Amino acid sequence: MAGEARLPWSGLRNAAILLALWEIVGRLDLVAGGALPGITEILLRLWEDRADYPRHIWATLAASGAGFVIGNVIAIAAGVIFALSPTALRLFRGVNIAVFALPPIAIAPILVLTLSGMAPRIVLAALGVYFVTMTATVIGLSQADSRATDLIRAYGGSRRDALRLVLFRGALPSIMAGLRVAAPNAVLGAILAEFGGGGRWGLGAYLLGSLGRGEPDRLWGIGLVATLIAGLSYGAFALLSRRLVGATRAVTLNSAIPEAPAQTGSRAARVMLAAGAVGLPFLMWWAFIRLTGVPDLIAKTPLGVIDYLFFARTAEMAQARLLAALAETLPITLAGMLAGLGFAFALAIASKVFPRAIEAFMPVALITQTMPLVALTPLLVLILGRGPSLTLWVTISVTFFPAFVTLAQGIALVPRSAEELPRAYGAGRWREIGMVTIPASLPYLFAATRLTVPRALLGVMIAEWLATGKGLGNLLNQSRGYLDYGMIWTVASVSVILSVLFYQLVVIVERRVLRRMGMATAE
Amino acid sequence: MSLRLNRRRFLGTSAALGASAAMPWRPANASTPFTMQAAWINDAEFAGYFIGIDEGYYAEEGIDLTYLPGGPDVIPESTIIAGRADLALTTPDTTIRAIVEQGAPFKIIGAQYQKNPIGVVSLASNPILTPQDLVGKTLAVPPVNVISVNAMLQINGIDPAQVNIVPYAYDPTPLIQGEIDASLDFTTNVPYTISQQGVEAVSFLLYDYGFTIYNDTVVVTEEVLAEKRDMLVGWLRASRRGWDVNFEDPNLWPPRWADTWFAGTGRTIENELFFNNAQAPLMEHPDGYLSMSEDDIEANLSALGEVGIVGSRDMFDTTLLEEI
Repeated sequence: MAGEARLPWSGLRNAAILLALWEIVGRLDLVAGGALPGITEILLRLWEDRADYPRHIWATLAASGAGFVIGNVIAIAAGVIFALSPTALRLFRGVNIAVFALPPIAIAPILVLTLSGMAPRIVLAALGVYFVTMTATVIGLSQADSRATDLIRAYGGSRRDALRLVLFRGALPSIMAGLRVAAPNAVLGAILAEFGGGGRWGLGAYLLGSLGRGEPDRLWGIGLVATLIAGLSYGAFALLSRRLVGATRAVTLNSAIPEAPAQTGSRAARVMLAAGAVGLPFLMWWAFIRLTGVPDLIAKTPLGVIDYLFFARTAEMAQARLLAALAETLPITLAGMLAGLGFAFALAIASKVFPRAIEAFMPVALITQTMPLVALTPLLVLILGRGPSLTLWVTISVTFFPAFVTLAQGIALVPRSAEELPRAYGAGRWREIGMVTIPASLPYLFAATRLTVPRALLGVMIAEWLATGKGLGNLLNQSRGYLDYGMIWTVASVSVILSVLFYQLVVIVERRVLRRMGMATAE
Repeated sequence: MSLRLNRRRFLGTSAALGASAAMPWRPANASTPFTMQAAWINDAEFAGYFIGIDEGYYAEEGIDLTYLPGGPDVIPESTIIAGRADLALTTPDTTIRAIVEQGAPFKIIGAQYQKNPIGVVSLASNPILTPQDLVGKTLAVPPVNVISVNAMLQINGIDPAQVNIVPYAYDPTPLIQGEIDASLDFTTNVPYTISQQGVEAVSFLLYDYGFTIYNDTVVVTEEVLAEKRDMLVGWLRASRRGWDVNFEDPNLWPPRWADTWFAGTGRTIENELFFNNAQAPLMEHPDGYLSMSEDDIEANLSALGEVGIVGSRDMFDTTLLEEI
């Protein structure tokens, strides 16, 4: 007991040691000739620039707030519909996976092309929150206590009564947890759109203007403020949910795409539903363009992209460029997935063996999650050059965090008694981990892989865009300069489709393996 | 039609613009709304237009000007195709390519930079002063400009494969630290930033080595040209006045905008002063700012021809400039 009480203090102590190390390394310009400034240098600069910040922060809060509200209203409404109707859930499966998997850097230029003013920021923020909250709502509603629902029914209550009296109340903690995780996503989405979208205010716009100065302390300052906003929004909802719900829940959230229960209905109906699930994202894409009323020249519908790739005068050239880019991007994406997952796995194992060290590392890990990569990548280039190692590290930094959290949760859930068995027979710690912990947390390894795989493509595209000048990321950026709208839409849609395919592939392997091992999918 | 407008307003389009012709609450006697899309975030590159707005030159022409800043994801030509702006400042290579390859209905009615300010910037300690110096070196180029650089190299008899071209990500730190040997950027801007880090920079313009193109060309759609010709002439006249006034004393205006146009850009006023002085010789023209002479148009077309962009004289319309 005494040891547990001391834990926060030693965690704090380790964090302080890490910060002191950062300060020394930064002050002595040990990393990349000063590209990593000391903490105090960053804070001093923040103080110097204090007059600049309020309006930028306000703009970011306004856009991310609007996106947060809109995205969550849609997400909760969709979650309720999905929880009530397995058919709807099945029909929207394609849409849900696409929203989960879409790489924001491929979508941002599309939004700037088709919308204007604050709209691209709000939409990107809303896209960042939709999936998390929708999933949390579905899970919350479907995990309601069936005895309470039965009671309402028994006393003649309608389905709506059950929803109001039992389901929503039961789902509230889950929804609140969803909102908590969604809040930082909204902030990051807004900042990304601000960076590219040409407005005057917002942390993203400030970052763009500051990049040209070659002053890392300013860039890190902006990153720190972004981290703070993301962290505070997380904290605010954590507090709110504790007040509202009066119970604490796990930090993490189920990130599996909600599955409809066992298939029912005729074979024909099932095929229709599956076709609908695949077709619906494309239908929504088409509807979006029709509703925005943007001319065909710049806004391509799915048919427009097919025409561009296969039938237009320049189709052959477009195909060749796309294939060449894919040949560069795909291998490193696969390597990036493995590296990100491996890093997360190593970290999760380490967190079991050396819990204190990992605890101290967490604040740093959190900063890498909210520090905008457009600011971080030029600095990484100084340390790592422009080769595959840079691409891998950018990909690891984009992917490892959610995977690590999921894995650590899985490892923590391994029954103690199972772990103690090998020990009783004299096995060492590593042997015990190899024999029990890893196999037992296999479902979580798959859950983590599902999280990692679509994000790996995002990491690779960012590195290609900012550092290596290869592949899809470069093609997207180059096409913007050539007004090659067909290619912009092609790259965006191909990257989303690829992410969805990667995701589906993991789901298939996961089902096979877990069924064979007699395990259930981790949620 | 009405459904589309409602939907667009729902999406925040017209509300955010504040300049849509559909807005009913503008008093009838006010000047006519007109929107321009700039090529980048607010800096000295657009000083003439800021003066025109602040001093009421556009208002005198009956123009109620809405000014939209640009950014990395903003393609100015897209904004005028989508009808969110009447006029855009563009790079001539992208504009002419769009006309040739996509049949975009654009006309170039003026040119801000007679000489494109884009050049190769390097450190004085590792100077790259001519295209020949680039052989065997690493040059960071925004992906958008790779074709221009390749053209300039070819015009100078250099095989582009001999230069290691990597993406340029807006941050001069890799150049200052020697990770790259040179970068392609506005020579009116980056040398100052580099000097602030205690390092001296040198540069040469692509323009001076055969890639003779304009920059910030003034582009409209044929539809706007037909419908708003008088306003476009008025815009050109007011903008020329703005630039005239700006260059009477390039040091006068940027400090005045510290709390308005340049507030919160993340850049310094000293940087804008450097920029404003450095850009003067690139914009001058005997017939006045924004002019396009036949020789220069020909030079643009032949330089772009080297890159495989085959434009023609009728993509430029000089008659509005004549009406100023």
